Amino acid sequence: MAITSEQIRNLTADLYEWSLKKIPEDTKQALASAGGRERSAVGRKTLSMMIKSADAAERNGGLVCSDVGIPVYSIKIGTRVQFDGPVKQAIVDGFALLAARIDPPILKMVTNPLTHERSHQGRDIPIVSFDLIDEADYIDITCSPKAMGTGRWETLETFVYPTLDTIERHVLDTVIRVGSQACPPMVVGVGIGGTFDHAARIAKEAVLRPFGQTNPEPLLAGMEQRLLDAINGLGFGPMGTGGDSTAMAVHINYAGSHGFVPIAVSLNCWINRRTRARIHADGRVERIE
Amino acid sequence: MNTTDFPILTLPLKRDDVERLQVGDMVLLSGQITVTIGLPTHQRMLDYLAAGQPLPVDLKDGAFFHLSCFNREGVDGTHEALYMNPSTSTRYNPSMPGLIEGYGLRLVGGKGGLDAASVQAMQRQGCVYLSFLGGGCTLLSQAIRRVVAVHWTDYISQFRLVTLQVEALGPATVAIDAHGNSVYAQLLDQAAQLREQLVEQMQTRRNTSLKD
Repeated sequence: MAITSEQIRNLTADLYEWSLKKIPEDTKQALASAGGRERSAVGRKTLSMMIKSADAAERNGGLVCSDVGIPVYSIKIGTRVQFDGPVKQAIVDGFALLAARIDPPILKMVTNPLTHERSHQGRDIPIVSFDLIDEADYIDITCSPKAMGTGRWETLETFVYPTLDTIERHVLDTVIRVGSQACPPMVVGVGIGGTFDHAARIAKEAVLRPFGQTNPEPLLAGMEQRLLDAINGLGFGPMGTGGDSTAMAVHINYAGSHGFVPIAVSLNCWINRRTRARIHADGRVERIE
Repeated sequence: MNTTDFPILTLPLKRDDVERLQVGDMVLLSGQITVTIGLPTHQRMLDYLAAGQPLPVDLKDGAFFHLSCFNREGVDGTHEALYMNPSTSTRYNPSMPGLIEGYGLRLVGGKGGLDAASVQAMQRQGCVYLSFLGGGCTLLSQAIRRVVAVHWTDYISQFRLVTLQVEALGPATVAIDAHGNSVYAQLLDQAAQLREQLVEQMQTRRNTSLKD
């Protein structure tokens, strides 16, 4: 059996809606455990409001945040899969379908960068990246709408033979520059190496990694823990009004590089928009998160 | 945490009312608030001030927030507001001192704070900054009782000047008070002071783990 354009269109629409109305389970748990550790009374109340807000949105079919961002999809295609019909156009249609039908309706956030004109569509929108999974007989679609609260603070800077110390200072300084503004506690994703474009991509993948996995690269596992503790020592706290909970997780990926080493720092705010589903070659659609 | 745990401020407010508030207080709001997240809206408000032209809504002693609001015209020609949620205030830094003093505001807010020039303007005016919950769309919107007015409908929804009647909106956290205290400035100073110590702790842990 082949995967149809209709399946892709419907699923990309659904994924966007799910990501606007429900925060990931691991994120809700991380907020609850941050509440247990938080020493600031305002911080504890703010974390508790976050959980209450996410629950209310899920229960009422409401939006967690009014900034619905711009649509971003990451698609991993199993090489044993066949398609029946266009794929890229199906994703464009899926977002258009969502924008037309979602209740409550969403604000226009897609902005023409040259004219600042707003709408629900634009050049290269949705932003989609494709990758392959050798021998798999399914496709995985991840949806992670990107909004301005964190998007405006993400960085990409190139270093020459950076030491681990330089890398860790750079991530810490990036978080200090963001300060109170990006709806902490955040998820911090770091991409080290590769090329300019690849560093950004692996940083984004790091943001989207589910919580609680130990980085298989021991150097990075240690770095993730050190940076998480350092960031949570800065004091910005929930919503940046003070406390111990500035980040829920630090995830780091790396890639082979040259002497020049691009380092990308990608961020998600506390609602950590991230949904994933799989379409199997036999037509079954499985919601992963 | 119940909303009854927090004091309610009822708009409009006098200087004394806001001068009593301290950084870290959490409050609820009732009465009329005016919201927008439009950069061009801020510019138009400044232009009106410069021209001595009154705004279509009187903001004196009132609340002006960076809340993004979905509003639309209903079948009967009146407006409805479906939801609202805070946006980052710092991008309006250049406009805010002029608006705070020019319009006599008592409450401003959104999330993420304002810069030193706004903090000073708030101290001169007698005005505080409230931090609303980002991602609080469903919770915060439950406080909307009715749409009082929607002005400047030539803009897209969230850029319009929207005045709403709210009841027990919040809780919101006083993050900049009327006495020159800003939790944002304090936390940035604190982070700058802690930075070297945190870097050293990372170095120590790294060196220990690399020896293992």
